[in-house]
Order: sequence, then structure tokens, then C-alpha cells
Amino acid sequence: MTQPSPTSGGASSDRTGRFVTQPNGHVTPLSPHIGIWRWHVTMAASILFRATIIAATVGALIVVAWLGALAFGPDAYAAALALAGSPLGLFVGFGLTVVLFSFILNGTRHTINDTGNGLTIKSSTILSRIAVWAPVPLAILFWVVLFAVGRVSL
Amino acid sequence: MSGQVKGNGARFKNNVKISERHGAGEWLAERVLLVVVLPLGLWVASTAFTLTGAGYDAVQDWFANRLNAGLLALTAVVFFGYVSVAWKVILEDYVPQPGTRKALVALLNLVFLVLAAASVFFIVRMALGSAPLPAGFGA
Repeated sequence: MTQPSPTSGGASSDRTGRFVTQPNGHVTPLSPHIGIWRWHVTMAASILFRATIIAATVGALIVVAWLGALAFGPDAYAAALALAGSPLGLFVGFGLTVVLFSFILNGTRHTINDTGNGLTIKSSTILSRIAVWAPVPLAILFWVVLFAVGRVSL
Repeated sequence: MSGQVKGNGARFKNNVKISERHGAGEWLAERVLLVVVLPLGLWVASTAFTLTGAGYDAVQDWFANRLNAGLLALTAVVFFGYVSVAWKVILEDYVPQPGTRKALVALLNLVFLVLAAASVFFIVRMALGSAPLPAGFGA
């Protein structure tokens, strides 16, 4: 089987960096994605979903600890509640709600795309923007209402 | 389902090569689990709002409702099932050594199994109004 000659087409005189010498000595055109790639929000949404799953796993550990504190009785639960009500606890709690909303929205985006929908450039961009940005205002709203109704206080 | 086998062991169905391994099943499992987790996630958000800052008695009343306890147990099992598959995908992407990868996947599966079992155990005790732990375990 004959390979197309990698050196044909002016590779030897190329000065643009579009050709690379492979470890086996062949001179081949540089894969075009480096030259035409640019950042897009769909990439951020994809990476953030993985980060969200990892963070949600940590969040699940905290929830299981909360369940354990409940099962160990009122004293253990009071200690857990005091920890959750401390400034650090509230900060972690805020982070957990960001993760929860991120999981719901990004998971919805993933499911929509997996069923073959929302894959035009415009709609995938909109879905990704929602998944990336909306968790933060939703979590802020969540906690503003909690503080407003007096359920939590500093 | 029986695909005809050709020369090198690859299986074909209607002359289309079908998966040699089990990736398609895992992909489908991940999607189905996620579709189940998402509505439960909304319910978890509303539950978190209800129970934030609640005292022990209020939380106990919440668990006494069988629907709440049942949905929470379902959420725990389905969620840990989903993250088990999701972590496997992540590890497959970032851990190139097959031995290390298999060991990590097995370890995480064990951890998630223990966490799901512990969640259901705690939830059932709360739902039944059992005496605080370690009652029943030598105390």
C-alpha cells in the first residue's frame, strides 16, 4: 500500500510551521485544529460539568455526614448545625447550592445534547451559557430568600 | 441480537460493525441515571430550602413522612450509581495505566457502594424513629 508522499507540496520549503517532523522522520502537515481552534463556551460547559460531578461527590460526602449526625441523635445534630451555621459553614453551603444548580442545569444541557437536540451553534451556545452562568445567580437568590425569611442568620 | 461473525472476530449486524465491548451499555446507563437524577435534584434543592436551619424535631418530622424518606433513599442510590459511572469515564480519560485505572475504578465503586448503603441505613433509622446511634450496636 503506497502512502501519499508527505514531502510533496512544498513541505521542504515551508516556513509557516504548518509542517512538522514526526518522530519516525516523516514530514507531515500539522493537524489543522491548532491553527483554527478558538475558545468557545461549549468547552467551558463541558469541563465545568466534570468539575461539577467531582464537586457534587464531595457535596454528597457532606450530605451523608449530615444524615449520620441525624442518626446519632440531637446532640450530634446540634453540633453539625452549629458547624453549618458558622461563616465557613455558610460559605461551604453556598458553594454546595452553586454545585447543585450547576449539576441540574449542566446535566439538562448534556441530556438535551445527548438526545441529538440543541446542537446548532446558536442553541448549543445558549444552553452552555445558561449552564455556565445561571447557577451563581440562582444560588445567590436561594440564600437571599433564606436570609430574608430568617431561616439562617449570621 | 445474534450478529454474524467475520474473519477477525468483529461482529456485524446488517453489515454494520457493532461494538466489540460494552461501551454502548455504559453510555446508556449513564444517560438513564442522569435523567432520573435531574428531577430528584430539583426536589433536593427544594428540600434543602425547607430543611436549612431546621431543628432536630422538625427534621425528624420531615423524615417521618414516608414519601420524603423514600425519595431521599432513591436519590442517594441513583446519585451514587451515576457518579460511579461518571468517575469511571473521568478516570478512563486521565489515568493511562490500565492497572492503576482498574484499581481506582474498583476503589471508587467500593466507596460509592459504602456511601449509598450508609445513606440508606441512616435514612431508614430516621424514618422509623429509631433511637440515636449507637443504640442497637452494643450501647
